[in-house]
Amino acid sequence: MDYLYDGTFEGLLTCIYYHYKKEEATGIYSIESYQQNILNRSEEVESDVEKAKTVSDAINKKISREAYEDVYYCFLSSVTNKENIILDFLVFAFKYGRNTMNFYSHDKVLPIKEVSLKVSREVHGFLGILRFSDIEGILFARFSPDHDLLILLVDHFADRYKYEKFIIFDEKRNKACVYSDNYWEVKENINFDNLEYSNDEKRIHSLWKQYFNDLAIKERININNQFQFVPGRYRKNMVEFK
Amino acid sequence: MDDNLFKKLRILSDAAKYDVSCVSSGVERKNNTVGGIGNASAAGICHTWSQDGRCISLLKILLTNDCIYDCSYCLNRVTNPTERATFTPDEVAELTIQFYRRNYIEGLFLSSAVEKSPDHTMENIYRVLELLRYKYNFWGYVHVKVIPGASPMLVQKTGMLADRMSVNIELPTKESLKILAPQKKIENIIKPMSLINNEITRTIEDKKYFNNTPRFVPGGQSTQMIIGATPDSDKTILSLSQNLYEKFNMKRVFFSAYIPVISSPNLPAISSMPPLLREHRLYQADWLMRFYYFHSEELFTEIEPNLDLEFDPKMMYALRNIHKFPIEINKASYEELLRIPGLGVTSAQRIIRERKNAELSYDSLKKMKTVLKRAKYFITVKGKYYGNVNLEPEAIRKELTQQEIQKQLSIYDML
Repeated sequence: MDYLYDGTFEGLLTCIYYHYKKEEATGIYSIESYQQNILNRSEEVESDVEKAKTVSDAINKKISREAYEDVYYCFLSSVTNKENIILDFLVFAFKYGRNTMNFYSHDKVLPIKEVSLKVSREVHGFLGILRFSDIEGILFARFSPDHDLLILLVDHFADRYKYEKFIIFDEKRNKACVYSDNYWEVKENINFDNLEYSNDEKRIHSLWKQYFNDLAIKERININNQFQFVPGRYRKNMVEFK
Repeated sequence: MDDNLFKKLRILSDAAKYDVSCVSSGVERKNNTVGGIGNASAAGICHTWSQDGRCISLLKILLTNDCIYDCSYCLNRVTNPTERATFTPDEVAELTIQFYRRNYIEGLFLSSAVEKSPDHTMENIYRVLELLRYKYNFWGYVHVKVIPGASPMLVQKTGMLADRMSVNIELPTKESLKILAPQKKIENIIKPMSLINNEITRTIEDKKYFNNTPRFVPGGQSTQMIIGATPDSDKTILSLSQNLYEKFNMKRVFFSAYIPVISSPNLPAISSMPPLLREHRLYQADWLMRFYYFHSEELFTEIEPNLDLEFDPKMMYALRNIHKFPIEINKASYEELLRIPGLGVTSAQRIIRERKNAELSYDSLKKMKTVLKRAKYFITVKGKYYGNVNLEPEAIRKELTQQEIQKQLSIYDML
């Protein structure tokens, strides 16, 4: 049976639940991207918070916290086949339990590890290269990450800028996290166009740009190296590369 | 902010950029103060990379480049006709906060030339910290330089507010220091180093009994020396580093390849290239000492007091000590695994973790993404040797050089 879910993490975990309690899954796909096929049977699964919690508790207790994190990070990735990477991994992992994470190079483990690593690398990267601007007292950041990692960035900035108000906007997915007074929420289908910077703000941008350019030691210029660390696709939202 | 600030920033960042240290790691701190801004992340965070490929983590500037000293390797020496500028402590604090709010930086790295006197300069450095911590309520990362010769009291109270402090050792030997920086006394460098180390130890001890004892420079201390301005050998440099790590619990010893910007009879000619490869090899060797359980002595022989520029230090060590190889992957201890050229900490840990399940094969090593290009000449897997030449230094050396040449050729083909 191909299970189809609504694109939420709860939905995905509900499918895993049915795999064990109802009928084995031949695959898990998001409803939006599923290609109907005469040979396969499919069923739309409705997200169920209770069932999802049963599965997430089981992952944490029977496998490990690390495994749960890998599953979640993989879910947030934009890898096309991620649902089945997760399914394959969990089927293997529920068999081997706490010992699972010692099988790094196993066919059922390596793929999820690689995806999860990609996502956490991008998260760590954006902790550094996300750029805020002060717009009428609110800190505003625009970015377009490869993976859907907005939610993984918030805690870090909510602590760092605890007494500021800030917005982090994922322009690729049109969603934003809005933070103020120890509280944040994610807003979907949102857009920010034509934001104007004040003269004071532009001055600070230029100060930073000047600092950034001056800092390079010309005897040691190494553009390729710089590209490895800051790939071109990230640069459009970084003041110093504009 | 007036436009003068652009000029000051240009002069004072330009003068600070040769300082190598830009790390913001080693301190984990949440933003716990009411109204506070900033925290510190133990892993450190890089915010951007400049055109030379170096990570930028901290706002790295001098408080002033107006110096009373005349060290011949330094652009800011009093006899060099260069443009001078001085920040006020307020300007530095304000700039740090504005950059920090926009997530350009992790914090501040403040250094300074010696203006008027060591105490005067140190006092100003302290003022910046005081402003940042108490006026702006800033709890991000701050690294400050200690000015040799400043009074211990000043160093002590600055250290209570900083995350890391460093005293530059400048040059590897007393003799070199005497020739190139005659006004700097080695005692004035060593004294604050041991003061910092003692204070760190004291506050750690106190913390066991009094929970709210503030930590003295929780990120520890580091130092820096110039490479290639004097004829000192790699052996001298690395055994000095080893000493600094052991005696003063240094977190890092930084090397900076001398960039010839000044002509002087005591210095390499202006036209000479900075010894970048040598600096790189020294860092690799330093890495071996800090994370791979190597001792500086092991890297050198009676006749060879320098590192091999052609090969990385671990490869060099293996070629000079071929009798200790090959190492069996399925039996070797963690420390032994780390001695295999091309094998890093991650791979070694993975091997240990994974061989608990089953004996490893050559294929499973490949699957684990272990880089075997260099390692294969120095290991056996289930007793079998996988190198395509015999276990002899000369043969391996030739083979590796050959590989390098071929790699370069294929790059030219693409062009």
